[in-house]
Amino acid sequence: MNGSPAEARWLVLLLRQTTWRHWRRRLGSTLLLVGILAHGVGVFLSIRLASRAAVSGFSLFTESLTGESDFLIRPVSGDSLPEMSAREVRQRLGALPVAILPVVEATAVEVAQTLDAAEPGPLRLLGADLVALRNAAGDSVPEVSGDVGLGRDDQAFVSPDLASRHGLSAGSVFDLSINERRVSLRVAGVLRNDPLRPAVPPHLLLMDLPGLQQLVGRPEKLSRLEIRVADGIDAERWRREARRILTSAASDQGWRVETPEDRREAVAKMSRAFRLNLTVLSTLALLVGVYLIFQALEAAVVRRRSEMAILRSLGVGAGTIRRLWLLESTVLGILGGGLGVWIGWAAAQVTVGGVARTVNSLYHDTATRSAALHPTEAIFGLGFGILASLAAGWLPARDAAETPPAQMLRSGSRARGLAWLARPGWGVVVGLVAFAISWLPPWRNGAGDGLPVAGYASAFLWLAALSMMAGLLFRPLSRWLVGMGDRYSSLVVAGSQLRRPTGRHRLAVAGLVAATGMSAGMGVLVHSFEGTLTGWIGQMLRADLYVAPAAANQAGAGSVLPAAVWRSLAADSDVAGVDTIRRLPVEYGGRTIRLAGSDYHEDAARVMQMRWIEAPEPGRTPQALRAVADGADPPAWINEAMSRRFGLGRGDAITVPTPAGEKTLSILGVYADYSDEGGTVLTKLDRVTEWFGDDGVSNLAAYLKPGVNAEVVRARWQVALPAASIRENARLRADALRVFRETFAVTYSLEAIGVAVAVIGLGLALASLLVERRDELATLKSIGFTRGQIASAAAVEGAVLAAMGLVAGLILSLVLGDLLIRVINRQSFGWTLDYRVPVGLFIGLSLITLLTSATVSAWVGARSARLKGDRSE
Amino acid sequence: MNGDPSLPTYPTPGEALRLDRVTKSYGPRRVLDEVSFALGRGERVALMGPSGAGKSTLLNCIGGIDRPDSGDISVAGQSLSRLDGDGLSRLRRRAVTTVFQFFHLLPTLTAAENVAFPLQLLGVDRADRERRVAELLAAVRVDHRADAWPDELSGGEMQRVAIARALAPGPDLVLADEPTGNLDSATGDAILELLARLGDELGFALLLVTHSRHAAGICSRSLHLRDGRLCEGPFEA
Repeated sequence: MNGSPAEARWLVLLLRQTTWRHWRRRLGSTLLLVGILAHGVGVFLSIRLASRAAVSGFSLFTESLTGESDFLIRPVSGDSLPEMSAREVRQRLGALPVAILPVVEATAVEVAQTLDAAEPGPLRLLGADLVALRNAAGDSVPEVSGDVGLGRDDQAFVSPDLASRHGLSAGSVFDLSINERRVSLRVAGVLRNDPLRPAVPPHLLLMDLPGLQQLVGRPEKLSRLEIRVADGIDAERWRREARRILTSAASDQGWRVETPEDRREAVAKMSRAFRLNLTVLSTLALLVGVYLIFQALEAAVVRRRSEMAILRSLGVGAGTIRRLWLLESTVLGILGGGLGVWIGWAAAQVTVGGVARTVNSLYHDTATRSAALHPTEAIFGLGFGILASLAAGWLPARDAAETPPAQMLRSGSRARGLAWLARPGWGVVVGLVAFAISWLPPWRNGAGDGLPVAGYASAFLWLAALSMMAGLLFRPLSRWLVGMGDRYSSLVVAGSQLRRPTGRHRLAVAGLVAATGMSAGMGVLVHSFEGTLTGWIGQMLRADLYVAPAAANQAGAGSVLPAAVWRSLAADSDVAGVDTIRRLPVEYGGRTIRLAGSDYHEDAARVMQMRWIEAPEPGRTPQALRAVADGADPPAWINEAMSRRFGLGRGDAITVPTPAGEKTLSILGVYADYSDEGGTVLTKLDRVTEWFGDDGVSNLAAYLKPGVNAEVVRARWQVALPAASIRENARLRADALRVFRETFAVTYSLEAIGVAVAVIGLGLALASLLVERRDELATLKSIGFTRGQIASAAAVEGAVLAAMGLVAGLILSLVLGDLLIRVINRQSFGWTLDYRVPVGLFIGLSLITLLTSATVSAWVGARSARLKGDRSE
Repeated sequence: MNGDPSLPTYPTPGEALRLDRVTKSYGPRRVLDEVSFALGRGERVALMGPSGAGKSTLLNCIGGIDRPDSGDISVAGQSLSRLDGDGLSRLRRRAVTTVFQFFHLLPTLTAAENVAFPLQLLGVDRADRERRVAELLAAVRVDHRADAWPDELSGGEMQRVAIARALAPGPDLVLADEPTGNLDSATGDAILELLARLGDELGFALLLVTHSRHAAGICSRSLHLRDGRLCEGPFEA
């Protein structure tokens, strides 16, 4: 009978004549159910789409003009290649039919009124040999005519987006700030989109190569070389040959040879842990949806129990009933999932900005402004919604199928629930397993990224363990309630229900454990993070003013304060001294890390105060960084992410590539750094300047003379450097904490949702319990129990269930907080955080949960007291 | 499931039900103790007895909802012990139907749809189904309430609809479990009269569980169940 056409016909009949009509009769509830699922799928999908867009938003800006190159040649250290590399490559490749395109990339900031100040994102300047580019690209690059002088540094082609937003056309003039220098550019033309290539990035400006080199003050320097093999039947052979030649020359030349695909994969890997954690967070929203749908479907089964019994009496088999409910779940999944996909896509347009900001500041450049809905993601979202709905419907379907025919049905027929929840002893065993696996190392992929798989598994097992162990509280609490019954009969009734808890009682408590555990656990993480970060910022930020190029908050931006600029600031009569730092990308262990150089002062008040993970030995900080014997390895500190990712610590040596050859540094200590998770090696600034031949700095911290008003100096400097980011100490601290709070805003809403879900779930569970107890309610009423007493008994029962869930949930939150801090965060980002318990949050969460649970339970009880005890009444 | 979607016909005379030494215990308590009896097709028999005598258990065993520990039950010549769960579901769909004390109409279906529902399960086509529903609703005299929802019907009307639903598949045997127990006496009398009339017209066998000698009056004989044992005797008014 299963799966037969007749079975299908029955299911359609039952769906149409029972399920559909119930939905129509309770349209509000049905829409709410669909809405809950859609919300879960929507949040989940929006985060996925936004993450995907942020990662795929990384592109080599030339791709939109030339299509994909076959190879890229980038420097293994620093951010530039000598221009003669192009000649070197040409010579080595000999007669192979390849085109070589030298490229310079730089960032600029809009300062003129002509460009929209509401979108302060940096502009991307791309410098290429326009003739070669046109040969490679065809019509998407405008014809370079005579009046657009090759090599001129005041002409640029602009992206169609920029042109249309700012009304630019050939001949328009606009002002930019490049390396803190104000320049005027004339629009030479507008770039055109080619349907066969990625869209031209919205903030792109294209210039002739020598012009841009001149403009950024880096003559004879390139960002990279792009190699394109000619088409033809031998193209694959030429490609192999070119790769072989280039790779063999790479180590001598300080090149890194990769394909655009390698590059995209590398940048995707950088933010994998960040995206994984976002996905896990967003999955919570879906789990919340699953829990509510489960409770709602359970309530529907209870409500429609007599209908199921009649159907059984009329010859509808148990299997058909089960499949009917699963089908109902599937239909809900399709409706909720479909709506959720749309919501997810719409929400992704909002969230993509935030995700892209984080990816930009921590990992790599992304030009993403919107998130596209990929068919695979849409199918994934829909499928996930259906699966979630089926998971939520599985237990109710089983309960419905177990409904006996009407002849056997007792109105008090109760659902079995989950058998394993009734075994608190097993909870202890599961907890021990969870504890043990939390000590497993992270799972590492080939690039050394640690994914805390065991940490997540441990969190899940702890959730199961504490849900089971919460059952241990039923007996003592029910005894206590019944013991109080001399004065309050409602307590006896409530206590007697908990003395022999049903599966539904246990499920309600498990739901509360999960919801409060996750909410409060997130609270532990955020509180710990905020406390740690506040202390770290207080320790690190001690100067009066902080100066950085405007685009410096972009991870991929190579913007610097040129030596002339930062030296003039240092020489300002109001300045007592400055600290400077220069960060440069270098390749290490197959990944891009940062080599940083900093200058330390002997003035005790300005000695850099690090938060140490592995402190340097006494007497070797920080003076040891300056006083190094000739011939010894230069000393360095590394940050925690570097230490964890590459297994390095105090006493180890590290060899990094520089334009002046490989340099071996001796690691003296490991410091905490909550601004970078890729890895940083910090050494003396003069070494870095010497090795890289560049005396610009990435940031400058200025200490002002006593009595000098920082705001006055800041305003004066801002006039001189209109595009630079100049912030006072308090402002920078406030900005840092604001960014932190924005990043974690989603967790605050998850906390609120968690409490709401716990209470709504409890209300639904209690409503089902009371419907199942119709006979008992009728009996209570017949012996003189008032409606008020029934309501108060329900309130007590609900409050006690809430208290049980709360106690176990708060214990779970402490464990989850520990896992998030000790295992997941450290393995994902390499950051050590102090463990701090948010006592205020715990008290608030407890009060809100208990009060709202008691109120909702009393309301449900009062409504249920109006139910007829039986049809015979 | 049903492989014959044709409109069911009412049975021809013969044996509708046979119980042979049916025994059923719950723990140490023997609820049915070697109960044996038979119902001819079209015959009406009252099953009486005090509460706890085993009437509901016996009805459940005959309806294939519960299984006896020993003995055999045959409905329309088919032994229930040879049927699995699906087979018993098929039996309830066509051969044995039940009229309940509390009506048990499906709340989301109108009166007509409730009657049509068993026919839809049997795959009867729409035209035949509508014709049969119209006939049955007319026969139980609620055709004017065909489109009403169950909660818009009076108790008597609900029971009439329930009877029509029980008769829709053309059963060999109708089990009526105190069909007047939830109705006032005048309405109850009308329902009993209806069952008797339709039984005569359509020829189904009726096993009527009742506490009331008055209700048993529509039957040709009565069976008395006491402590799980059966004693048969002529009805005494």
